[in-house]
Amino acid sequence: MKLLALIKKEFSRFFSDPKLIITMIIPGVLIFVIYSLMGTFMNEEDEGYDFKVYRTGDSVAVSMLKAAVEATEGYTLTIEDITDAETAKTAVKDGKYTAYIVFSEGFDEAVGAYEAGSGKPAPTIEIYYRSGDSESMSFYSIATSVLDAYENALANKFDINRGDTVYDYSDAGKIVQNVMAGIMPFIIVIFIFSACMSITLESVAGEKERGTLATVLVTSVPRVHVALGKVIPLSCIALIGAVSSFLGMVLSLPKIIGVSVGSFVGSFGFLSYFMLLLLILSLVPLIVAIISVVSTASRTVKESSGYTSVIMVITMVLSLVASFVSGIGGWSVVVPILNAVVAMQNILTGSYVVWQCLVSVLMNLVYTAVIVFVMAKMLSSERIMFGK
Amino acid sequence: MEETGEIVRVEGLKKTFTLSRKQQKIEKTGLSHKVAVDGLSFSAYRGQIYGLLGPNGAGKTTTLRMLSTLIKPDAGDAFVCGHSVVREASKVRDAIGFMTSDLKLEAFFTPSYLFDFFGAMHGIDKDALANRKKSLFSRFGIDRFAEVKVQDLSTGMKQKISLVVSIVHDPDVVIFDEPTNGLDVLTAKVVTDFLLELKEMGKSVLLSTHIFSLVEKLCDRVGIIIDGKMIADGTLDEVRGDMTLEERFFETYHNVKGEIV
Repeated sequence: MKLLALIKKEFSRFFSDPKLIITMIIPGVLIFVIYSLMGTFMNEEDEGYDFKVYRTGDSVAVSMLKAAVEATEGYTLTIEDITDAETAKTAVKDGKYTAYIVFSEGFDEAVGAYEAGSGKPAPTIEIYYRSGDSESMSFYSIATSVLDAYENALANKFDINRGDTVYDYSDAGKIVQNVMAGIMPFIIVIFIFSACMSITLESVAGEKERGTLATVLVTSVPRVHVALGKVIPLSCIALIGAVSSFLGMVLSLPKIIGVSVGSFVGSFGFLSYFMLLLLILSLVPLIVAIISVVSTASRTVKESSGYTSVIMVITMVLSLVASFVSGIGGWSVVVPILNAVVAMQNILTGSYVVWQCLVSVLMNLVYTAVIVFVMAKMLSSERIMFGK
Repeated sequence: MEETGEIVRVEGLKKTFTLSRKQQKIEKTGLSHKVAVDGLSFSAYRGQIYGLLGPNGAGKTTTLRMLSTLIKPDAGDAFVCGHSVVREASKVRDAIGFMTSDLKLEAFFTPSYLFDFFGAMHGIDKDALANRKKSLFSRFGIDRFAEVKVQDLSTGMKQKISLVVSIVHDPDVVIFDEPTNGLDVLTAKVVTDFLLELKEMGKSVLLSTHIFSLVEKLCDRVGIIIDGKMIADGTLDEVRGDMTLEERFFETYHNVKGEIV
């Protein structure tokens, strides 16, 4: 009953303060908004353009260019012949036309007759455009790449991967998985850590600094209850923050890497999700317990946040090591946090082993229990709680 | 113990603190240890107010913290309502209400919520708690502010709430460290009135102070502590004799330390 009252108090402190709720949820919302905006800007050119281009001279490359532009939905290319170069240039300069393209006289014949080693000037193509204008710039990039390809084709000596055969054997789901596996566990751990940090520092170190924790210690409530009365509710609250950030990330990801939510979500099975959830559920109380014990040992919030930052850096390094060093052995299951990162990585690459996930979860819970016990001991220590 | 009306018995309490380098500089001493309380013994009686009188650093706060089980004595023991502070800390905590300016309430909550919360911390059942809240809140005029957050209340009202919350579990003994320290005159009066009210309710009060007038106004018995030792102990009249308490204190201080200041 005492433990229940302690847990309820933490919840009512949190849920009756709109400011605290907002600080928990807002990171997820911000991540979603920022990433979605980034994604939208990155993919803006996909909307399509109607290019209006003046042309002087002719080449078979023009029909290739037209075909290349119009192969993409939403793009059209209108070409008008003009002989007066100055009028054409002015029209481009004023933004009335997308670009002005000039082929040197008898371009195709000249190209056919040209020998690279002859030392004579090569036939030319000039494209007048505006790099500051996204439409004109877009046409310029398409035109140069098509014309480069044309040039290469003329000097063609051999082909690589020609034809419609599928040469790339990895499917879209696998590509998504590899991208995710590298970075996702790291991001998840950082989100969990920052969610845990903001509330735990305030609740444990803050209460100690303000003297409200000591008021509870004067009562006959067991110290283990006080420790659990912090770790349990703070873990639940931190989970809201972690889930909010995680959702923000996952929902905005398709816009960033151009994969639909369906293919992203569908690339993992139910068991993968269940294991991921278990791992996250084991990480949250562990990190809350670690920050709680550090906060109990510190005199002030400031001191505690100093120590916690160091722990955060260590956690980040552990997660990064796991993300970028391949082939970490089975021994990692005994290392807190690292075990979850490695297991998450394996889940995301589709090569996970159930026992590894379960042992990691179990180890993290054991560590949490040990840390809660240490925290209870610290709460009973007069030097830590009432030392000057 | 019950027959004699003795409710707190202190037997040879001793507490030594280790001093850090910084503390050694502040205390201007090269010693790494400081004996804060040195074999202290005294008794307090049911329904009375006992005052521990002494200068700063005499060991008053340390003594009261040992009695309220926040810190453990190095030697000796004390019994509150018959429970040892060393061996039965949890029972002692349920028998006492401890008040000091170091202990704060979370100002975000309402008096009503805090009362219920601390009631639960002491394991009081809901019905008893509701009755007690009603009577204590109306007795101390908190009922009108029961649902207002503590942070929005006046200093005097905040103090009243701290006092009422400290006796939520109807303890027999109330221990109060420096009750009027740092309070303005109005709030200080709230506290002294409260202590007299507690006495009227049949509670036993143990307080520490360095204010002579407070002891003369409130206390039935007084103990003078200097350098962690009990120099004089008895009823107010026994201790002060034919002098004022202040004169008596400085005479004692001079005898012990050989100096006045």
